[in-house]
Formats: sequence, structure tokens, C-alpha cells
Amino acid sequence: MKSIAAVSWGLKKVKPGLFKPGFVKAASFVIVACVLAIAQSSPKVDLPQVHLDADGLAPRPIEELTGTTIARHYALAWRDLAEALESDRSGRIDEEFVGFAKDRITHRIAEQEQAGLHVRIVDHGHHLKAVFYSSDGAAMQLLDEAQLEIQTFDGNKLLDTQNGPHRYIVLMTPGADRWYIRDLEEVSAESF
Amino acid sequence: MKRIPENGFARFTRLNILALLCLLPGWAKAAELQVPAVVEAGRSFSISVDGSGQGTFYLVGPDHVVKRTVSLGGDLQIQASDVRAAGRYQVIVCGATALCNSAMFEVKAAQPAHLNFFLHPSRVPVSTRDSIDATAFVFDQYFNLVWTPAAVDFRITPASGATITRRGSTRNGVAWMRMDSTPHEGRVQVTAVMGDVEEARVIQQVAAEACGLRMRAVGSGNRVNLETDPVRDCNGNTLPDGTIVSFTKTDKMGKSTVDTPIKKGIARVQFSVHGRAQISVACGVALGNEVTLNGEL
Repeated sequence: MKSIAAVSWGLKKVKPGLFKPGFVKAASFVIVACVLAIAQSSPKVDLPQVHLDADGLAPRPIEELTGTTIARHYALAWRDLAEALESDRSGRIDEEFVGFAKDRITHRIAEQEQAGLHVRIVDHGHHLKAVFYSSDGAAMQLLDEAQLEIQTFDGNKLLDTQNGPHRYIVLMTPGADRWYIRDLEEVSAESF
Repeated sequence: MKRIPENGFARFTRLNILALLCLLPGWAKAAELQVPAVVEAGRSFSISVDGSGQGTFYLVGPDHVVKRTVSLGGDLQIQASDVRAAGRYQVIVCGATALCNSAMFEVKAAQPAHLNFFLHPSRVPVSTRDSIDATAFVFDQYFNLVWTPAAVDFRITPASGATITRRGSTRNGVAWMRMDSTPHEGRVQVTAVMGDVEEARVIQQVAAEACGLRMRAVGSGNRVNLETDPVRDCNGNTLPDGTIVSFTKTDKMGKSTVDTPIKKGIARVQFSVHGRAQISVACGVALGNEVTLNGEL
């Protein structure tokens, strides 16, 4: 509201006669509506915390910017995945997933919707450990230890809750402006 | 209505009846599940479910969701097609009382069936240290990453010379190796081999930097024709056509440079000279000989 007030004040200053109280009220409403629309179109779920550890990465060390990009896009991927599994819509999955990972998630969401199920993920953060980065920079493999609460619903009925650490083997590859998840496979603690 | 106070005996009897009802088999109890901890991708298996009557069975996997009505108190068959993707699967069974029970199991990749193999770069100068990288990702027939350790052989077959094999081991489904390029130009085939699975890639080795670059000058009037000897690297490989050779002339008119591509192994250029001139030749980082002309050609 502070910014709306500031904008209204700015408009009054430009042409005081033009801005009668009614007009300012209407303009404020339009701005509020725009802000609300932007807020509604923005992600419902906050970005999960991702901590990337790339110590001892081989055969190629990671550049700082690459590390930042990977952590950000991994967080975006989990946000989009959580939204897709909850809404049964795979709309934004292809923004962060490609290849097998995308195909599998898309297929699962379609079947989930058909069965009337949805899954809610409460994401408490990810600890990513980069374990392989190819010399040509074309692929990076990471291990993720995620703290997730996964609730499975049939319609509105809660069927099951899994709360605790989940472990994933992740393969990411670079695209034009981001790193994509190409493979995402959950493994047991014993296999990790 | 007047409430009659409950005596001790009546309360005791009521609690006992409730406890007895709760202990009756199948009463207010979720169907018990027995699932294997680990199964192989694409293999059918069964899940044992306690209880009686009808229930709802759910299977939630990485790429597949199943919901169906089942009869409790027996084995539920899980089809091979239900467990093709590796990962963790969730089984939920809800009985007639609407109470549900769940269990998790893991599907691991089947036997290696595909190698996703990258060889980098596509062209490389000869005799260059650590210049070739080979990376192989191992997948099963359903394209699950096979991350149990396994040996991968990299078979290197140069255009001339014997085949060399280097063995690498997968870690989390990836095997990689780095090697020097061999001394001779031409195609080098690198084949990743794992059991019966093979995947080959070809890399082109090209001559390295020029070595012992020399030119000759042949005069005609105030013109001079310059021609290099065949341009080779230190291993005697001919530099590819199109490689640029620079001729630089300095005379009383100033300094001028002509860049010309090698054609059939040789670079040629013609200059007009004015008075005494010095001409040098270079190719990449290699400097060749210098020719001095007195201008009276």
C-alpha cells in the first residue's frame, strides 16, 4: 500500500487538477487489482531452500555462477513439481525438467488425475551434493537429501503421510539459459 | 429427563465390552501389508494383504499411479509394467472401515542395456595431454540409471596403431576417463563396452601447431612469389587445408600482412616490393624463416 500511496502522490504532483479523490480511489483500485493479479499469477509455493555442496567435484570444478544457477533452478524445479503434483497439472514442468524426468512426471500426473489422487509436498529444504561434473560441462550429477512431508490424498481424503528424509540421485544438464533436471530418482537410505 | 448416576459395576462392564469389540479380528484395523524392500525394474511380484472383504489399493510410483478395488486377505499381483521406473514406490491399502495402511518399496534398475556415451571434443590436436574426455552413463532397458558399481571398458582404436583398452568403474551410474591424443592424425574410434552393450564414438585428430615452418621466394620484376614447404607439425602430420598462414612484408612503403589458407599442404602469396624488403611467415604460434630482398629482383 505504501507504493500505491507513493504512485498516487506522484500523479497528483504531475497534474493536480486531474486527480480528484474519486479518480485517485479508482486508480488505486486498478493498481491494487494489478498487484493482486500479479500475486495470484506468481507461484503459490515459496521456493524451497537448496544448499549446494560442490567440494571435491570431479573431473571439472564448478564455477560460482554455475553453482548459483543450479541451486536456483533446482529450487524452482521442486516448487514446480510440488505445484504440479498437488494440482494434477503439469503446466510448468517443462520449464525445469527435460528428458526422462519430464516424461515420467508428466505421465504420473496424468495418471494421478485419472485416479483422482493428488499429492501435497511440504518442502523443508534440500542438501545437494555435486558428485560429478563432466569436463565439457554438459552434465552434472548430484545427490539430494531432502526433508519432505509428502501427503497423499484421494479426493479430499488423506490416505498417507510420509515425513522425513528423502534421497534422490539427480542428473542435470545445461540449456540455453538454465540447468534442467534430466533424471530424478529417489533411492533408499541404504542405497544412498 | 432425570439422569441416573452410573455405579462402579456398570462402568466396568461398559469398558470391558468396548475393549472386547476393539479386539475382534478385523474391527477398526487397517489391512496389514507385506511388501518386498527392493524389486528389480520390470519384474512382477506380489504383495501380501491381511484382512477380509473389499478394499482400495493404490500404487504411487515415479511415473505410474494405480488405483483399483481389491479383495483383501491374499496376495496382490503387481505387474511388470507397473514397476518399470526405478525409484521409491508407495503402496496404500484402505479397508472397508476406511482405515488405510501404507508401505514403501524400492525399484532398482535392471541389467545394463544402454550406454549413453559422450566423447569430447570432436576434433583434437595430436599428442596433447589430457585432451580427450569420455563419459558413459549406464542405463537399463527402461532407461533407469544403473548406479550399482560396474566396470566399463573404453576401447581406443586409432587410425594407425594398436587398439588400447582402458578400464573405468561406474560410480552412481557414471564412468569417465581422460586420455592424451595419439601422435598421428586421423580418426580415432572410442568404444564404451559394458558386457554385451557397446557404444562407439569417433573423434578426429588433427595436426598440432606447425613446426619448422619454411618459405621460399621467387622474384619476377618488382613482384615476389612466396611459397611455403608443406606445412607440418612436429610429428610430421600435414596441417589441414584452410589453416591460415600469415606473410608479413616490411619495405619502404610500410608494413603489410597477407593471411592465406593452406591449399594442398602449401601456402602461397605474391607481393610487390619497393626497395629493400623483409618478409616473415607465421602459422598460429609457430614463426617461420625470414627472407630479405634487396628490391632488385
